[in-house]
Amino acid sequence: MSSMTFEMPNFALALPEIFVLSMACLILLIDLFLSDRNRVLTYLMSQATLVGAAILTVGLHSGEPQLTFGGSFISDTMGDVLKVFIYLVTAVVFLYSREYLRVRQLFTGEYFVLGLFGVLGMMVMVSAHSFLTIYLGLELLSLSLYAMVALQRDSVTATEAAMKYFVLGSLASGMLLYGLSMFYGVTGSLDIAEVGAYLKQLPGDNNIVLAFGVVFVVVGLAFKLGAVPFHMWVPDVYHGAPTSVTLYIGTAPKIAAFAMLMRLLVEGLGGLHVQWQDMLILLAIVSMAVGNIIAIAQGNIKRMLAYSTIAHVGFLLLGVLTGTANGYSSAMFYIIVYAIMALGGFGMIMLLSRAGFESDRIDDFKGLNDRSPWFAFIMLILMISMAGVPVSVGFWAKLAVLQAVVRADMTWLAVVAVIFSVIGAYYYLRIVKVMYFDKAEETAPLASSFDMRVAMSANGLAVFALGVYPSALTALCAAALK
Amino acid sequence: MTLLLIILFPLLGAALPAVAVRWGRNASAGAAAGVTAIPLALLLFETPRVLAGGTIEAGWRWVPAIGLDLTFRLDGLGFLFALLILGIGLLVILYARYYLSQRDPVGRFYVFLLLFMGAMLGIVLSDNLLLLLVFWELTSLSSFLLIGYWKHHADARQGARMALAITGGGGLALLAGVLLLGHIVGSFELPVVLRSRELIQGSPLYLPMLTLILLGAFTKSAQFPFHFWLPHAMSAPTPVSAYLHSATMVKAGVFLLARLYPVLSGSDAWFYLVSGTGLVTLVFAAYVAMFKHDLKGLLAYSTISHLGLIMLLFGLSTPLAAVAGVFHIINHATFKASLFMAAGIIDHESGSRDMRRLNGLWKYMPHTATLAMVAAASMAGVPLFNGFLSKEMFFTEALELHQTGTLWWIVPAAATLAGVFAVAYSLRFIHDVFFNGEPVDLPRTPHEPPRWMKVPVEILVVLCLLVGIFPAYTVAPLLNVAAGSVLGGPLPEFDLAIWHGFTFPLLMSVVALSGGVLVYFALQYRFNLHMIVQSPSPGRRFYNRGLAWLTGLSEIVTGGLQNGSLQRYLALLVTVILLAGAFPFWQLGWYSGSRSPGMMDGGSGVAWLLLVVSAACTVIWHRQRLLALVFVGVTGLMVSLIFVRFSAPDLALTQILVEVVSIILLLLALYLLPQTTPRESSVTRRMRDAGLAVAAGLGAAGLVWAVLTRPQDTISGFFLEQSVPGGGGSNVVNVILVDFRGFDTFGEIIVLAIAALGIYAMIGGLRVERPALDPARRPWAADSHPLLLRVASRILLPLALMVSVYLLLRGHNEPGGGFIAGLVTAVALITQYLASGIAWTEARLRLDHQRMIGIGVLIAALTGVASWFFGAPFLTSAFAHWHLPVLGELPLASAMIFDLGVYLTVVATTMLMLVTLGKIGAREEV
Repeated sequence: MSSMTFEMPNFALALPEIFVLSMACLILLIDLFLSDRNRVLTYLMSQATLVGAAILTVGLHSGEPQLTFGGSFISDTMGDVLKVFIYLVTAVVFLYSREYLRVRQLFTGEYFVLGLFGVLGMMVMVSAHSFLTIYLGLELLSLSLYAMVALQRDSVTATEAAMKYFVLGSLASGMLLYGLSMFYGVTGSLDIAEVGAYLKQLPGDNNIVLAFGVVFVVVGLAFKLGAVPFHMWVPDVYHGAPTSVTLYIGTAPKIAAFAMLMRLLVEGLGGLHVQWQDMLILLAIVSMAVGNIIAIAQGNIKRMLAYSTIAHVGFLLLGVLTGTANGYSSAMFYIIVYAIMALGGFGMIMLLSRAGFESDRIDDFKGLNDRSPWFAFIMLILMISMAGVPVSVGFWAKLAVLQAVVRADMTWLAVVAVIFSVIGAYYYLRIVKVMYFDKAEETAPLASSFDMRVAMSANGLAVFALGVYPSALTALCAAALK
Repeated sequence: MTLLLIILFPLLGAALPAVAVRWGRNASAGAAAGVTAIPLALLLFETPRVLAGGTIEAGWRWVPAIGLDLTFRLDGLGFLFALLILGIGLLVILYARYYLSQRDPVGRFYVFLLLFMGAMLGIVLSDNLLLLLVFWELTSLSSFLLIGYWKHHADARQGARMALAITGGGGLALLAGVLLLGHIVGSFELPVVLRSRELIQGSPLYLPMLTLILLGAFTKSAQFPFHFWLPHAMSAPTPVSAYLHSATMVKAGVFLLARLYPVLSGSDAWFYLVSGTGLVTLVFAAYVAMFKHDLKGLLAYSTISHLGLIMLLFGLSTPLAAVAGVFHIINHATFKASLFMAAGIIDHESGSRDMRRLNGLWKYMPHTATLAMVAAASMAGVPLFNGFLSKEMFFTEALELHQTGTLWWIVPAAATLAGVFAVAYSLRFIHDVFFNGEPVDLPRTPHEPPRWMKVPVEILVVLCLLVGIFPAYTVAPLLNVAAGSVLGGPLPEFDLAIWHGFTFPLLMSVVALSGGVLVYFALQYRFNLHMIVQSPSPGRRFYNRGLAWLTGLSEIVTGGLQNGSLQRYLALLVTVILLAGAFPFWQLGWYSGSRSPGMMDGGSGVAWLLLVVSAACTVIWHRQRLLALVFVGVTGLMVSLIFVRFSAPDLALTQILVEVVSIILLLLALYLLPQTTPRESSVTRRMRDAGLAVAAGLGAAGLVWAVLTRPQDTISGFFLEQSVPGGGGSNVVNVILVDFRGFDTFGEIIVLAIAALGIYAMIGGLRVERPALDPARRPWAADSHPLLLRVASRILLPLALMVSVYLLLRGHNEPGGGFIAGLVTAVALITQYLASGIAWTEARLRLDHQRMIGIGVLIAALTGVASWFFGAPFLTSAFAHWHLPVLGELPLASAMIFDLGVYLTVVATTMLMLVTLGKIGAREEV
């Protein structure tokens, strides 16, 4: 801090954020005056906001990274790519949720407005270029999520889940902030580039404050990502929240979390790579182990997918911890693919649910092939892809990460990851087995809206198409991290 | 392009039989046959080029980011396998048309079969290891569907899952191995890999890479101890077994070894791993096969044994052994496919596969019996049949072995022993089924099958004979090019003649033949073979137990980690954070820095002690709510004293006032709560939590100590310097709040306002019935508003308001400011409520809190906006010093107006919150 002169920030770079913020406030206001019959307007405006934000993001995209707001905000290719995927995934989340919420009398403006604020939080996380901005985005997202989990106020499990999420999440936020404050103390700066430069030229690595800073930052990040042993909230929240909220939590925020990892660990604390690499290795292994092993015993598919998320986060960490450009782009590819697959997985639960019936037990998928061969096939694609069986996109994603790990000379880690993938494949294929080989317990015909069916089919086919032709996305990820 | 077409025809054409089935079963089978025949023709079209030793390559880019391109090659080895896959595939399609019953969904069968065929062709034609791997896993998946085709049979489902678990798992091991191989070589392209023998064998990663790749090959080719999935896969329809377990699925592992033979073979590790596994499998499976009563079970173990034989040959690493291995692949494919088909015919026409019941079928189906006998003779290695030739080569190589030193006799002896067993089980297949008395209550009367069901068997049996009698004119060219591409170099001298004179290998064959006959009849008549029942294989038990163990482990971990209790989660979380936090201490050593933290003066010492004691007391007496509140108050006061000690009177003032307000708030809540909290947690749990808390506290203290004892720069110098020139005030804290951090303060008052409105919205209309007695059954105080208090509070009010104005005005230079002034005013007003009751106060104090909040926020916002009109950014401060007649010098900064907004908001929000909360449960005043 050298002078107190103020510069007018370049607002244009943050136009998508400003747009989403204004629209979210506007929708909140308009929603107040809508009757339940016209509530669909809220939904349509929310979707329009996402489309508008996408247009702005793409339109304003320039190849060069640009800073604004005194260096606390960055607009670059990685950010723009991730943001577009966040809009896309959120738009699909809203689409899937509409019917589900309406049937359960949860079709309120809050869901969409909180969802948009969450999107804003993610955008800020993605574009953050200072510790404070990251934290700001993260908390905006987290607070929206806490409220969304509790959306179904008369459900005991939902409120309990929200309570747990909030208490544990606040503690973790505190840890993250504690760690960040230590870096501020040592470096005297909150700017990610400045901190990064300072840490890179640091001679010794025995600075005790930095060592603690790394520990607390990683703890905070691990919690937000849901990595073991900071994962306890994940299954309870995924299970307790209404499925439409689980869908939201389980998809787009993961993309933002990846951005947070990149900004904070790679760009900011890149100089301390050696320190955080060890911690991430540990987190990755335990996450893959615990996630995959516990998932086997689950009878509830939302819980199973929660543990599967944990295991996938382990894989994401693998890519990041390599510390190579190749590893980062693999991790980015992995997380985008994961978000699309998870969208389909949770979406399928909502497709099969109807008024008064949650199709969230694995037994509810029994004999799906007899009820609807098409959606059984879509689910087959999704499960195969999540398990990482060739030629699915999940396989390419795993392969890319594993290759990056091998190239970083951590062969043993790749072998460990493969072993846990084998265990993991088991529970996904169990769903396939019950769909195709078991007799249906639930025989009612599917009762879902037309747009939901179309979107679900498109989702499954997108996973399939990405499996056949993953190059475009891998190339995009590689270019984004150039 | 031809190569891609060969693979794509079955893969894409797989949909055709499903469509064609609506025109009948023949149409479906015809479509499948057509989709197979076209690539077969395409392949045969390339025969001259391949036999001339050429290699056809083709490639397209696919996923360059991970080094995967769509590249294919057709060399001798690939050609041989593709020929087997398509040729036998065509026969199986024909056979299955008659085998499958009316009830079976024929279309689905052919779809799965073609998918499998395409995947298999992909394996053998891939020129890229990753591509090969992709097809490899596709065969696992499609074979899963084929094995589980009769999904109404529980054993079919279990067999399918087991096959998938073992081969799919092995495939992932292979994935790891291939990744390592690619890492060593730097490419996944086969031509590059095959040129890098020295690089690969010299790499330190060679052994792990080899082990992983072999795991993939062994699981796929059902080698001991992973063999157990194959017998369980026999629950598949017999055409599937004939296809998968003769020429295709299980040969994929062998194919992989043949493919990578030029670069992987020759090392000691290769020799011991591959030939060791092969040898054990060869003997063990041949032994088990003799005791199988199920026709297909016998063939399954025989298959395992023969695969072991091929493995062993490749493991020996001599050129001639490799040739023998390739030759045996061809021979095994032909005779085993025909035997499976024969077994299927027997099953189909008699309704049983149990050799204890199927006796004397010769009378009923002599034609089938003849075919089966020829094929079985080939399996046993009888001269004039093709099995004999490759077995003879195997015996020769077994004798040539040098690596085993003085134990040279082990391999030949084991080979002979396995030969004996093979003859015995082949003999059993013939004797037990076609002779040996009469059938025992079969479900159906056996008879010959339809004409066309026998044709595929006949073709294969004729091939067995032709190759067996005229090897040089039939199989030699194919064998030469195939073996040539395995060896990747010149072929050794070998002679495919039937008669080599009286040699030691011939002696071994004679021993095997005669020994086999003896063993079989000894077993049958002396040991009552039919009565021997084997226990399930240990491999299967291991698999089942492994699954059970995994599920059990999963449940235990769930119970331990995920019991749904927030307390448990928090305890775990804190424990992990403690461990993570202990790590740097452990790594860097806990040491204090060079800087002295300074001595503590007496006053601070007392305050510190009081702070610690009051905090501890709060914890100890937290169940006594009122007592706990008192201690919390003491803690707060001590904290504000600490602020005073560190020269921050503003903070101290704010702290005191916030303390007062929050204690009042908590007291209001006490009103509705029982006096004490019951104990809910056990002693151990409290001890655990206490331990965690102490550890966390010590950790934080240690960290603070470590930081404070190191040299540091503070940022206070900057603010001290900038305060007067930058913000026009000498009270640094206030300047920071309203000027440097004006935006923050602005945000804070808005947050406050929203919080107050939120409380109002949530509990504004709430009415809780206040009990007439307190929980201890005592009446409330008779006089809720004592006179003394009322009078005192009224005298106090103007004084307090005066102080607050004073604080507000002087805030910019001396301790005070909008925040503190607002709190003072609020406390003064609240005192009126407490002393005189809500009704009395509200009647006299007509404040619209909501509107006041709005005005306050607006004033603050407008001050900020005003700076825009002077061309400065939001909230830029302007200041001047005015001299007023009575009050003296008055420094008037624009921040003062901002402060006024802060003041109004703070007063109104505090009042709104407290009054709203205070009204809960308040009885109507009398």
